[in-house]
Amino acid sequence: MPAEAPPLISPNLPATPAPLGDIGGCARALAAGSETAVGLAKRSLERARALQPTLNFAIDLLEEQAMAAAQAADARRRSGAVLSAVDGVPFAIKDNLVTAFGRTTCGSRLLEQYRSPFTATAVQRLLDAGAVPVLKANLDEFAMGGSGENSAFGATRNPWDPSRVPGGSSSGSAAAVAAGVVPFALGSDTGGSIRQPAGLCGVCGIKPTYGRVSRSGLVAYASSLDQVGPLAHTPEDLRLVLSLIAGHDPADSTSARANASDLLTELEPALPPGTKVRIGIPPQARATANAPAVLAAMQRAERSLRAAGVELVDVDLPHADHAIAAYYIIATAEASSNLARFDGVRYGQRAKLGAGEGLHELYVRSRTEGFGAEVQRRIMLGTHVLSSGYYDAYYLTALKARRLIKGDYDRAFAEAGVSAVLMPSSPGPAFAIGEKSGDPLAMYLEDVYTVGVNLAGLPAVTVPGGFQPAGGTTPDLPVGLQLIGPPLSEATLLRLATLVRYR
Amino acid sequence: MSHPAQAAPAITHVQLKVGLEIHVELATATKMFSRAPNLAAARLVNDQAAPNTLIDPVVLGLPGALPVLNREAVGKSIAVGLALGCSIATTTRWDRKSYFYPDMPKNYQISQFDLPLCFDGAVDLPPADAQGRPDFAAPRTGWRRIGIIRAHLEEDAGKLLHELPGGFAADYSIVDLNRAGTPLLEIVTQPDFDSADQVVLFCQMLRDVCRGLGASEGVLQKGHMRFEPNINCILTLADGRRVVTPVVEVKNLNSFKAVRGAIEFELADQPKRWLATGREMARGAKSTRGWDDVAGVTVPQREKEEAADYRYFPDPDLLPVPIERGWVEAIRSSMPDLPLERLRLFTAELGLSAADAHALVDEPAVAGMFQAAVDLATTEGTHADLTPVPGPAAAKAAANLLLQSAARRANEATAASAGHRIVLASDLGFSARQLAVLVLLREHGRISSQSADELLGLLCEPERREADPAALAAERKLLILRDDAAIDRWCDAAIAQNPQPAADVRAGKDAAIGRLVGAAMKCATAEGAQGDAKLVRERLLGKLRGGG
Repeated sequence: MPAEAPPLISPNLPATPAPLGDIGGCARALAAGSETAVGLAKRSLERARALQPTLNFAIDLLEEQAMAAAQAADARRRSGAVLSAVDGVPFAIKDNLVTAFGRTTCGSRLLEQYRSPFTATAVQRLLDAGAVPVLKANLDEFAMGGSGENSAFGATRNPWDPSRVPGGSSSGSAAAVAAGVVPFALGSDTGGSIRQPAGLCGVCGIKPTYGRVSRSGLVAYASSLDQVGPLAHTPEDLRLVLSLIAGHDPADSTSARANASDLLTELEPALPPGTKVRIGIPPQARATANAPAVLAAMQRAERSLRAAGVELVDVDLPHADHAIAAYYIIATAEASSNLARFDGVRYGQRAKLGAGEGLHELYVRSRTEGFGAEVQRRIMLGTHVLSSGYYDAYYLTALKARRLIKGDYDRAFAEAGVSAVLMPSSPGPAFAIGEKSGDPLAMYLEDVYTVGVNLAGLPAVTVPGGFQPAGGTTPDLPVGLQLIGPPLSEATLLRLATLVRYR
Repeated sequence: MSHPAQAAPAITHVQLKVGLEIHVELATATKMFSRAPNLAAARLVNDQAAPNTLIDPVVLGLPGALPVLNREAVGKSIAVGLALGCSIATTTRWDRKSYFYPDMPKNYQISQFDLPLCFDGAVDLPPADAQGRPDFAAPRTGWRRIGIIRAHLEEDAGKLLHELPGGFAADYSIVDLNRAGTPLLEIVTQPDFDSADQVVLFCQMLRDVCRGLGASEGVLQKGHMRFEPNINCILTLADGRRVVTPVVEVKNLNSFKAVRGAIEFELADQPKRWLATGREMARGAKSTRGWDDVAGVTVPQREKEEAADYRYFPDPDLLPVPIERGWVEAIRSSMPDLPLERLRLFTAELGLSAADAHALVDEPAVAGMFQAAVDLATTEGTHADLTPVPGPAAAKAAANLLLQSAARRANEATAASAGHRIVLASDLGFSARQLAVLVLLREHGRISSQSADELLGLLCEPERREADPAALAAERKLLILRDDAAIDRWCDAAIAQNPQPAADVRAGKDAAIGRLVGAAMKCATAEGAQGDAKLVRERLLGKLRGGG
């Protein structure tokens, strides 16, 4: 049985205040009495303050909230009433999950001062389990972006190389975990927004099955694709957090009736003796368009899986090439409608009107001033594809492509008999800040391996697969691999992920 | 298309053509997609909830708030759909209709686009009589079948106000979202109406249906039902040509009077407009007008500069709703008689006047109690000696008790609540069975009408919920005594005490009999009994004039 893999934290980051490491380590220290929740929360906040100027992973630090929650956790521990394995463990919240404390900005100028009267279900379940919220994490505005650069609060930077992007849109969540500021974070994944930044930052992240985690309180980008999930250092930590946040929520009509009982047992051993497991690899995963480090990571993962007795087979995903086009039609169509409510009338930033200006100007000016360029681009795209005369050609065609893409996966699982499909979570390591921001199409292609999973509603977990070795002034850069499984197969995926994760 | 007015041939005949869109606010306890209380459900007289108090994150469209379907709204809509003869979809779904307006918090409305819950219905409507009431006696050829295209569910918007409460001017608008999210059933008919009478009759009938099913409170003053007739005319010209005038949609009518007024105005005005402009029905020729209640005219509303593109698409926050057949059948089997059926039954079979029948049908709960009491009184009877009586007799007695004795007490109770509660005749505490006993006591000549009223009053008292009205009548000595010997005794005493009037009656002066009857009844009362004035009078005449 392999030992628990240690967190991967860039050696170039300052050693003090010491990084927090993984949930397991924090929980053991709390249980042994060598740490207190208040101590962990203080260290988390101190490290956050130290690294924030370079990495910009946070929109707000939640000092008051964190200290109150940590003191309550310590009191519970003293009276022997520990709530869960994350009781007293700090975490970060992507700032598109509403919280009744602090503000919820979605990384947007428009919601700069917005305060929610309620807390997202996933966050509330973690609070109820005793976890300590220390920061609201930066993100691409309204979760639209794959680089972390599209935030009204400035770009987040990659802890392995601050001149590079951390990926997005859960940029702050991935960076905060990777930098050792928090042992885990909540993110959201609409087209790869958990998995791609996890891969680029050298941490683990899971996009659960659509419906597995409540969307209530997640500010919607594309409702049929959005899913809340955790980022952490190990598959075991992902399992732990997912077991706490998964499960039916009456406040979300699309929430699955499945409970989280399959997630309650530890992951290792990944493959009990005698287990026969087959994993599929699509041709795209070995395409030469991928960076050499990505291809090397694939080979390393294949060796590791074979060594564990896993059978590897080729699978075909013939419609995968249509995923980007279908995704950018469906996601923007839903976004154009979901973001219509941000009009400056009831809440959010309202434009100051001049003489003779009225309702129309209020709408146009509030939205033009409040939304960043990428959000405006996607609203316009989505409005166009739903317009009379274009609906059939774009939206309905995209829905057909979506069904075909889902069919590819169904066939792989049913006919090829694979438990999971292995592929990179992005074609290369982190790119330089500004490198792709002038070319939206190049940026969209960054999502080539992730969006199909959302279109098919499947669970997928990303783990560090290896590193692009340092060269010249460039430090080591992590690359991520993902395992994709049938609906509700998170427990199996996480087990297999322990074999794939770089150690 | 256009022609100089003087060149137009004379119009020899004008035929009206009207289709209806009706918005009905459903009386569910909570809103369509949230748990906020529904303004249209509160059965209160003074339901003046302070502005923006019946709201929650879903109603406000706050970031992260998700809609959750209120199945009660679907159930109530199915009931209305069944009453209108509609097919009920096996699966229905929710679509987003996008447009920006400050009374709509999400800037899209959750509605139903291509899969409405109810569709393809029809209602047979009798012609109206001179008072505008349905005439069930009319031959079938005079009836009209009104096609129902669809009935779909959506959420209502809030209210935008352009002046401050109290009518003070403001240079800004204010919004009240109490109404936002109220379940709204939109019913669309075929253009099958050819008179304002028919349209009004249909609107009244629909209101009765919705109230009868408990689907809507149906209070027009509160906007629970809003009517939008689509009106045009087919003109026959002197040269035999027929032209069709452009359709006018009159928005947001919330009284029957306004519906009639708008249609009659358009019927008179559309031929004139055609003469003046020559505009005929064509693509894009439809216009929207509003109704000026004071001037009694329709007025053009500002037209949108471009055709609206609502960009409908399925709402990804909500799942399609499978409508199990068992659910539909359960609703169908629990539906009470529909108002039109009740009106027919009450007038044609039970012989009530149209006015009484309407008064009963107007309150579904009262009509239900009436029907139950009449059923008991005509089929089973309630006691060994209170045997069933014919329908019309029972109906007349029950209607009198409900519409007079009970209605008077209900009005008093409503007034006493100072506007907090509407008390109906069926809410006073007595049961349909108790009412049936009163009906039978009266019809068997066992109590007077005054006694019936008195007993009904006693039965309203909480401690008499279980009381048997027959026993109560005996206990209160309200039963009419039919004992011959007793009547003889009272009459003899009356004659003995009043020799002069007795002599007058013997001499043929009928006027004197009143004194004698009064004296005999007094004797009865002195014995603690209740005399029957009619019987006493007959017996006195027999004694004084022989015979009888």
